[in-house]
Amino acid sequence: MRRTFAYCMALFLLALPAAVLAARVGVPAPNFTATDSNGKTHSLADYKGKFVVLEWHNQGCPFTQKHYQSGNMQRLQKEWVQKGVVWLTVISSAPGTQGYVTAQEENDYLRKMHASPTAALLDPTGALGHLYGAKTTPHMFLINPDGTLIYDGAIDDHPTTDQADIPISKDYISQALSEATSGKPVSTPTTRPYGCSVKYAH
Amino acid sequence: VPTCTLRCAGKSAALLLLFSAITARALADELSIPNGTVDLLSRQESIQPGYPITLGLHFQLAKGWHIYWVNPGDSGEPARLEWRLPAGVRAGAIEWPAPHRLSTPPLVDYGYEVEVLLPIPIENTSGLKAGEQVTLAADVKVIVCREVCIPATAHVSLSLPVRSQRPTISSRTAPLFSAANKALPKPAPSSWRPSVKDVGSEFDLRVRTGRSVASAWFAPLQFEQIDNAAPQKIMSTPSGLHLILRKSDQLSKPVSRLRGVLIFGSESAYLIDAPVTPLPAEGHHKEH
Repeated sequence: MRRTFAYCMALFLLALPAAVLAARVGVPAPNFTATDSNGKTHSLADYKGKFVVLEWHNQGCPFTQKHYQSGNMQRLQKEWVQKGVVWLTVISSAPGTQGYVTAQEENDYLRKMHASPTAALLDPTGALGHLYGAKTTPHMFLINPDGTLIYDGAIDDHPTTDQADIPISKDYISQALSEATSGKPVSTPTTRPYGCSVKYAH
Repeated sequence: VPTCTLRCAGKSAALLLLFSAITARALADELSIPNGTVDLLSRQESIQPGYPITLGLHFQLAKGWHIYWVNPGDSGEPARLEWRLPAGVRAGAIEWPAPHRLSTPPLVDYGYEVEVLLPIPIENTSGLKAGEQVTLAADVKVIVCREVCIPATAHVSLSLPVRSQRPTISSRTAPLFSAANKALPKPAPSSWRPSVKDVGSEFDLRVRTGRSVASAWFAPLQFEQIDNAAPQKIMSTPSGLHLILRKSDQLSKPVSRLRGVLIFGSESAYLIDAPVTPLPAEGHHKEH
C-alpha cells in the first residue's frame, strides 16, 4: 500500500513540471529560446519589462491570408511595435507542410508583405508551438512585463476567411493590448482561437 | 440515388442535367468547389403558397477532405449561406446532422467527410402565387480542408414551380433527405435526465438511457467547454452511462449547462442540455 502511494507520488511529481510549464492565462508564461529568420536568438526572459505578443503564422493558410492580404496584421504589428510592444511571429509548420519556410523565404515574405514584427521565430520542430498549446493560425498570446500570460485566443471575433469581416470585427488582441498597456485588467483574457490547424510534425 | 465519389461527379452532373430536362425542375446542378461539389436540392417537387418546404445543401467531397459542423472544434469554420429569396420567403437555420470526430493531432475538429446533406427549412412562403416559377438562391461560403484548407464561394440556385396543390416528394432526392434526417440529433427522452458533475479538471456527464451503452461520444455545441482532443472515457452502468470529459484549458468561468450532441452511431444521436452541478466546496467533500 505504502509502495503504491510512493509510486503515485513519484508519478505526480514527475507530471508536475509539465503542468507548471503549460501556458495558461494568469500564470507565468513558459520561457523559451528560439531563432529568428535572421539567425538571432530570442528568449522570453530577454523581454522582461515589456509586453510580448506571440502570433502563430502560416503564410499559406487562408485565415492568415485574410489578415495579411488585407494589411490588418501589418497594421497591428506597426502600431504596437511603435508603442514599445515586442511582436514575435512564430512559424511552427514542420518541413514539408504548408507554411514551412526557410529563413530566406521568410525574410522575402516579410519584405513583400511589408510586415514588421519585432522578429519571425522559426519553430520547425513545433517545440514552441506545443509549449504554448498553439492550435491555429492565427493564434495570439499576450504576455505582460512581469512575464504573466494575460491573453490566449483569437485575433478577433469573426472566425472566417473573409476580409470583408475585418472592419466589423471586435479586435481582441488590440483590446487586450489597449487595456493592459493602460494598466487595466484584460476584460476578455481567453477566446476560442480560430483558423487552420498548426501544421505540426507527426 | 447512388452515392458518388468525385470521380463520377462529372458523369452524375451530366445525368442530373439530362434528368432535370425530362422531369420537374426541382433539380439543381452540382457546382464544383475545391475537392468536391455542392448543389442545392429540394425535398419537394413544387411549392405551395403558405406551406413550408425543405431544401438541402448537398456536399460531395473527395477522399480525405472535409467540411465542418456548426461547432468546427479546434480549427476550421462551418459553411455559411447568404440567401437571395423572393419576398415572402424565409430560410430557417441549417439543421446540422451529427458530426464525425476528425483528428489532426494535437487537434480534434468536428465535421463531415465524403458526402453530407444539410437540411434547411424554408418557411413563410405566403408571398408566392400559384402558376409562377420561384428561384431560391444562395451564396455558399465554405472551407474545405485536409491538411490544408481551401476556402470557396459557390452560388447555388434552384427553381421550383408554385402550385396550389400539396407538393409531391421528389423521388430523386428522397434517399438523401431521409439519410440526413436519420443523422439529425433527436431530442433526448426526458427519462434520460442528463446531468453533469463538475469534478475539477473534468466534467462527469451522466445519462440514464435505461440500458447499458458500450460506446458513445459527446460533441459540444458550445466552444471551449471541453477539451476537444482529450479522449472521452465512457463508463457503462446497467442504467446508462457516464462520460468523463476533460475541461477546456480556455475555460476560466464556471459552466452552468453543457449543451451538445451525444452520438452512439451514425444514425443515433441525441441533443443533450444538462445542468452542471458545481464542484462541492472542500469542507463538504465526501469520501468515495
